[in-house]
Amino acid sequence: MAGAFILLQILSCAILAFTFNVRGKIVWNDVCPNATTLGNGKATIDNSILSGSIKRDGTFVIPGVPDGTHILSIISHDYAFDQLRIDVNDSLSSVEVRPFVPGTPMQPPSSILLPYPAVLTPRDRYVYFVPPESFNLAGMLSNPMMLLMVGGAGMMLAMPYLIKNMDPEALEEFKEQQAKLGGIQNAFQSGEIKSGINAIMAATEEQSSSSSAQPNKGGAGSRGRGNKKSKR
Amino acid sequence: MRLLTGLVSLLSLCTAVWSIHESDVGVVDWHKHLVGVPLSGIPTTAPSFYRAGNKSMIFTATANNVLAALEPADGALLWRYIFEPEDRIIGYFKGDNVVATLSSPGGGTLRTFDATSGDLLLEKRLHAPNEGALSEPAHYGKDIVFAPDSNDLYVITNGCTITHINGTTGEVVWTHTSEDRGSMVISSKLILTNGALYAVGVGRSVASYTLHITTFSPTTGEVIADSNIVSSIIDPLTEFIALSSNPEKPVALWLEQGTLRHLSLTPSLKEKPRLLKGLGFAQIVDVGLSGHGHAAVARNDGSSFVIKIDEESGYPKSVWEYKDSAKSDANADSIYAGALDALGQPYVTRVFWSHQMKKGSADVFAGHLAEGQGLTSSYYFPFETNEHGVISHVALDSENPSGWNLNSRLVVTTTTGAIQLWEQSSLKWTREESLALTAIAELVEIPEKVASEAGHDLNEGFVARLTRHVIDAQDFPHYLTNFVKRFITGSYATASASAAPKLTNSSEGISRDAFGFRQIIVAATMYGKVFGIDSSNGEIIWNRVLGMGWADGFGGTITPVKLFTIKTVSDGGDPEVVLIGQRRAKNGLLDTVLFHVNALTGSDITGESLDGEVLAANEVVQGALIESYLLKTEKRMVVLLDEFLQVYIYPDTHETREVYTSVAGQLSFPLRGVVEDRQRVIGHKIGPSLEGRRPVAYATWTLTLPVGEHVQALIPQAAQGPVASVGRVLGNRTTLYKYLDPRLFTALTVNAARAMCGIYVLDAAKGTVVYHAEVKATARGCEVKTALVENWLVYHYYEGEVAGGTVGGTMGYRMVSVEFYEGKKGDEKTESSDLSPYSIDALNVQTFEKAYVFPYAITALASTSTKFGITTKDLIVATANHRIQSFPRRVLDPRRPNRKVTSEEQEEQLFSYDPLLPNDPRRVLSHNYDVANVQRIITSPALLESTSLVFAYGLDMFLTRVAPSNTFDVLSENFNKVQLVITITGLLIAILVTRPMVQRKKLREKWYN
Repeated sequence: MAGAFILLQILSCAILAFTFNVRGKIVWNDVCPNATTLGNGKATIDNSILSGSIKRDGTFVIPGVPDGTHILSIISHDYAFDQLRIDVNDSLSSVEVRPFVPGTPMQPPSSILLPYPAVLTPRDRYVYFVPPESFNLAGMLSNPMMLLMVGGAGMMLAMPYLIKNMDPEALEEFKEQQAKLGGIQNAFQSGEIKSGINAIMAATEEQSSSSSAQPNKGGAGSRGRGNKKSKR
Repeated sequence: MRLLTGLVSLLSLCTAVWSIHESDVGVVDWHKHLVGVPLSGIPTTAPSFYRAGNKSMIFTATANNVLAALEPADGALLWRYIFEPEDRIIGYFKGDNVVATLSSPGGGTLRTFDATSGDLLLEKRLHAPNEGALSEPAHYGKDIVFAPDSNDLYVITNGCTITHINGTTGEVVWTHTSEDRGSMVISSKLILTNGALYAVGVGRSVASYTLHITTFSPTTGEVIADSNIVSSIIDPLTEFIALSSNPEKPVALWLEQGTLRHLSLTPSLKEKPRLLKGLGFAQIVDVGLSGHGHAAVARNDGSSFVIKIDEESGYPKSVWEYKDSAKSDANADSIYAGALDALGQPYVTRVFWSHQMKKGSADVFAGHLAEGQGLTSSYYFPFETNEHGVISHVALDSENPSGWNLNSRLVVTTTTGAIQLWEQSSLKWTREESLALTAIAELVEIPEKVASEAGHDLNEGFVARLTRHVIDAQDFPHYLTNFVKRFITGSYATASASAAPKLTNSSEGISRDAFGFRQIIVAATMYGKVFGIDSSNGEIIWNRVLGMGWADGFGGTITPVKLFTIKTVSDGGDPEVVLIGQRRAKNGLLDTVLFHVNALTGSDITGESLDGEVLAANEVVQGALIESYLLKTEKRMVVLLDEFLQVYIYPDTHETREVYTSVAGQLSFPLRGVVEDRQRVIGHKIGPSLEGRRPVAYATWTLTLPVGEHVQALIPQAAQGPVASVGRVLGNRTTLYKYLDPRLFTALTVNAARAMCGIYVLDAAKGTVVYHAEVKATARGCEVKTALVENWLVYHYYEGEVAGGTVGGTMGYRMVSVEFYEGKKGDEKTESSDLSPYSIDALNVQTFEKAYVFPYAITALASTSTKFGITTKDLIVATANHRIQSFPRRVLDPRRPNRKVTSEEQEEQLFSYDPLLPNDPRRVLSHNYDVANVQRIITSPALLESTSLVFAYGLDMFLTRVAPSNTFDVLSENFNKVQLVITITGLLIAILVTRPMVQRKKLREKWYN
């Protein structure tokens, strides 16, 4: 058993290269009110070579950051944070904090200097879900297709009454048009395209002639109707 | 016009998001929160009970570098903290509503957590990692004590530095490092009394260790006394303990040549060591009650007793002798554990495995009961040794509800990596934590349910048949109503429904669901266990312990290497898997063993072991295994290569041998090798099998790497499914044909001297370099992650320095997407999938590549796979912030132009290049789940062409479904059956209402017209 207890005292007393403890703080806001909602968050340097956990009060310390330019990012499961550019300077023992936008060049550095210790705010909480489309009757009925259908059905029911209340003159005209339309339809159905086209042509001709004459006729008709109404 | 098409393409991009609804959580996916196997061998990391107020919980630190708090009632995870890999946890120390941990070499990092919520209160680096003294075992020379009335801590790190830390601010109040490092004094234990802080440890002398004690003033850190006690301790881990029952009278206790000596500690260290009566003591066992004056002592013959510090005299005395505790053939070795109840009264238990009873046995001793006479309670608990191996650690929680009753709970850690909670002799829960160290896993398709046919006699008479039909017809009205009900309101099987059967009937066995979402995950762990997990809900269907074969007597470990599905559902019958492992016996012999099991039930196909027993090992290769492959010929078989490149096949039957000889000539595979200090990738072919000798593989080509470059990994192509389209039609009506060489593989290399990482795509038969790229290494070395599927290669790395060391460009993670096409321009076709590797056309390749700025570090990546390969292949990544996220293939298209898209490119649905990849949270497949430290992602096709199963494992396990091109082959989620039914009924009613009206009208027309 004595063999199992080996102490390898490798205490290096060599003086290490100057390193810096980068400090920062997460400021709680409405997006993320406290450390419990944030979960286990970490502040990391570059590709997570060094990291510091975010404590309950929102502060973090990344120990031993070497000289140079680094990117500070917050690793959080649910919240989006900005990234920061950190310049650690050996000789001046200073830290400069600048904003950093991913995908932008590092040179020249941004002229905006942010305060140190770095302050970060949760920008956004990720929304992972899309609300499902639920069924509701009002929505279904307000559908244009539905409106057309309902309208059509209503017209179908109302038609006989409308026709009944129609002016005999107008009724005559309507019937004529119906018959013409029926003729065209019949022609097409029976396969006589030529006669069908002829029927259309005739109809359009008549329409154009009637439309040219219409202002008068319509005017007279309306006047007549108006008269009738006034008589009543 | 352009604006319009641009708008359309943008819209199509927006709507093409395959999304997760909140209602799908836990239905289409599952997540196993694991913590890892407790480091049970070390007292500071082993599981233990903790009481915060009236709530009790279990703490443990694990092999996965996690500190976890578990709920004793159901084993649920309360909270966990995952340490970074280089920051190994050394131990946790429990204070008043606070848990403190020491981690990293020498215990240089101190953290404190709120015990109930797991919030991190303090994180402090006491010394840099390179100043840490490495010790073996790692926990020796590290300790924390909590000041009773403030939240201050006293910490020993490195075995020599004592620090007083303010627990609120983290400020160092004082620190003291022992000066005489020459004498190698290691302080291992701190005891805090009102007047003094004792640092108790050992100093190295010629053949043994001597006891060394230093006392400090707790407030100033001033050394009061420093003394070497004349003693000779052989092993301080098992022969020395410091106990304190009365906080003012600590006692040091040690064994010296079989005698037990003790020393009362006073700040001035003026007391002399005393001898306790008796001889032949072998070991002092710390049961975790050293702060309450209890320990267990074992004699040379294994018999043991409980020792307690007498509160008045301050001397230790034996208070309880365990019956039948001497070593015998009937019982295995004893394990001791201690506990404190809610009133602070100590309990000590001895737990052992009884070979006679085939059960675990526990003797719990409570010294304060029965008017101070002591009370014990003994019971057996039915521990399943065939399923869980051997008990490696026990933690106790006891209480005395009334008079003579003792209730105890045991947390048992087993050698197979399970954590169990036993309440007296009933098992409350089991956590299979070895799954956190899954070495390999495969998804195996399962067969359809066999429609059960009513077993009726074929020769039944007319009357019998008639009566049977009448009886069957009784159910008809019920069936009819059910049918109508289902027709009107019933839902169709949708792609977002749970695949788990509604009624679990274990006797029926497992069968697949309508869309093949239910498969079996066969997972082999590093703790010598194989699991069969239901992919529909994550439940363990079967588990088997891997047998050691002849090494059973010595003990050893089996490291799973490969897992192959040797028989699939399409071959008929139950699917079978073969697990290949390397067995390292304790005597140092390395062998290759093979296990052949039924994937549905876990039963041994070779028939050498029964269900419920330990799985029998089939020693296929005597010696190490170099590589193994699965041959997907008409009869699947495994080809293994030993150290001498001799070929073994499994199953070794006449039939497989014949099939093997017919294909052996076409097999080629790469291996890594070293020739004249230069690393090489060497391609091999298999030679003919000579009479009576095994065929041997021989080298056919080598790729010599530059000096100083070595191979990091050889990664085969992702399992090649069917390729639906061999080309891509461009806007100018030419076609780019995919370069589909089935022999392609990726080699990752490291050049430490130049700090570069290499990526090669090679042909295994000739060594043709199809693609080569070099990226810069980072401070962590080469962490390039790649995936190669069909003609698409993606790799991810960190770009730390841009433009020769000065930070010119941008820093960040990169994802590079590369596509290989035949020929040098469109419409050039070389039929690369069937091309001979020696053809001149093998190098007639054009490559498109684009690098993108990737938002995260990743730990694993894979592409989706579907049954026929028609669906787009999305990229699935496991990110460092514990998420599984998918990235659409379209945004990773390397042909995205660096300018405005032309109308031709628009036809191809390309859009202009943007270095930033869109990071859409709606594509986070793991949504709210915290899927930590994923090591590998496996994708497996479902029966639905549109859908692929994604399984991720590492610390946690996670499974979900993805449909990269939406679920085009099933009714859409938005399909509204209710609406359809309402519309049709509405129309029907309208017809019914209007029909008589129309008929009346027609009749009237006939009369009056």
